[in-house]
Amino acid sequence: MLTLSVFIISCSSDDDATELTGNGMVKIEFDNSMAGDDLLLGSSYTNSQNETLTISRLNYIVSNFRLTDEDGTVFTYPKDQGYFITSEETGTTEVVLMDVPAGRYTSLTFGIGVDQEKYLQGAEGQGDLLTEAESTNMMWSWQAGYKFLNFEGTFTSSTVADATDFKIHMGSHGSSLDNYKETTLSLGTEALVSEDMTPIIHLVANASNILDGENKISLTEQAVIMVSEEKSPKIAVNASNMFTVDHVHNGDGGSH
Amino acid sequence: MKIYNIVLILFLGTLSLKGNEIPTDPCSKLNSKGLLLYDFCDTCGCSGNGGSMGFGTGLNNNFFGLRYIGQRYLSRDGIFANSPWIDENFNTVQLWTQVPIGQRFMVNAVLPYQFHTRTFADGMEQNINGLGDATVLGFYQVLQQNPDSIVSIKPEHTLQLGGGIKMPTGKFDSENLEGSVNPSFQLGTGSWDYLLAANYGLKHRNWGLSFMVNYTFKSENDKEYRFGNQLNYTLNTFKTYYFGTDFALTPQVGVGSEHFEKNKEFGLEVNDTGGYAFFGKAGVELNYKTLALGVSSMLPLAQDLNNGKVEAKNRWAIYVNINI
Repeated sequence: MLTLSVFIISCSSDDDATELTGNGMVKIEFDNSMAGDDLLLGSSYTNSQNETLTISRLNYIVSNFRLTDEDGTVFTYPKDQGYFITSEETGTTEVVLMDVPAGRYTSLTFGIGVDQEKYLQGAEGQGDLLTEAESTNMMWSWQAGYKFLNFEGTFTSSTVADATDFKIHMGSHGSSLDNYKETTLSLGTEALVSEDMTPIIHLVANASNILDGENKISLTEQAVIMVSEEKSPKIAVNASNMFTVDHVHNGDGGSH
Repeated sequence: MKIYNIVLILFLGTLSLKGNEIPTDPCSKLNSKGLLLYDFCDTCGCSGNGGSMGFGTGLNNNFFGLRYIGQRYLSRDGIFANSPWIDENFNTVQLWTQVPIGQRFMVNAVLPYQFHTRTFADGMEQNINGLGDATVLGFYQVLQQNPDSIVSIKPEHTLQLGGGIKMPTGKFDSENLEGSVNPSFQLGTGSWDYLLAANYGLKHRNWGLSFMVNYTFKSENDKEYRFGNQLNYTLNTFKTYYFGTDFALTPQVGVGSEHFEKNKEFGLEVNDTGGYAFFGKAGVELNYKTLALGVSSMLPLAQDLNNGKVEAKNRWAIYVNINI
């Protein structure tokens, strides 16, 4: 009995010991999927509308990142550095936020696309974003504006037997129709930032949601959707709801 | 392999013997007391996923021995439904011993050496090998068998209560946490862990039953990673067949279960950790004088490990012990 009682005194380490100081980085991984499967360009996926999509391109602009900590304090990333283009083709799917104050962050907010305030700064106010958007097929023309989302490939359906091209280019229409949307995601756990801790926030972007989200968009009905006052706002809503947090990996940020 | 031949010869040899008679000679040299070796160890790489590969327990049997344990896991490399599975093989060789201290105390110690491999979907292989976490347990025998008789008419109960410590002699490498869901691909937890254990044994004639349960409190290691506390229990039944005075054969069947709390990193719960696995077990031990040879196998019957992202496959063990 003596032995037993000795070992009942177990270890209980105090967890909240980590002191977070200085400024650090936050990495945000945009891992594209199709309804639970990894999105692989060239692979086929069938959605609830019985359309089978083979995706060749998925690019989108994410912007205006804000991190909220456990006390509700919001850190807003500097707007002039706040626009990122992710691309499945080039494997550019990680956004790195620099100079983030140390803390325990619990939620993340960001926009999909380019807000009117930025757009209305004019061509000279766009910085590198303009040339970057042009080189990644994310720009119609300066007048028409940015493509927030460029989703392309081929599809078949019950009535479309031959693989047919589809193009979903969604953005604001100049300044006449604003399709910029924001999303706020709870991180589920705390993302710990300090001068030597760089969390990786691993997001899943379910691209199936673009056509097959709360708004159902049939490619059989219309396979090329660009400037459409009816359909593009629906796609904007679907796209803004395609993000979820899979997990947060705390550590030195080296790899997941 | 030589050892297989020996096992085979002994097996065949015993079959030709008359068999299944309880020796009446109380001075029998045969030291078999069935599959009553206390076994507690983390068979897995680290105690993230652990093993309780043991046969039952119950007797004051003192020995030292060598044991090999092989475990196989499949673990999901990625977060998606179509992410590839990684094949993981955990191999452990253990030096283990049990020695009495006085009438009612005994000490059980295990020193493992591990060599683990995993193969990624692209064919790349990763190997880790080295010392695992050494464990020392002390037991107090609350109920013990009458040492003067080998075979008693009445059922005999044994009960041991104890506890111990698992030392971070195995390396914990935080790099191995990366790129895979299974955080248990490690040589050790890197932490000082504490154990409580209870073993109950019941023997009647040549039948036996054993129940063992243990709980491991795991602490945070210096990488601020903490594996979840672990509960193991096993229930075994066995029957010993005696062949003359020198041989005994003890087949056994049983079930075992392992339950894991979630791991923590930097004090925060880690996704896709924790869970349980429930195994069916079968094995046999062959005794010749002071020598014991055993093989056993465990097959998972039900499990939910790491949110379904780790799947335990079969395990098997082979051991040789010398009773002292």
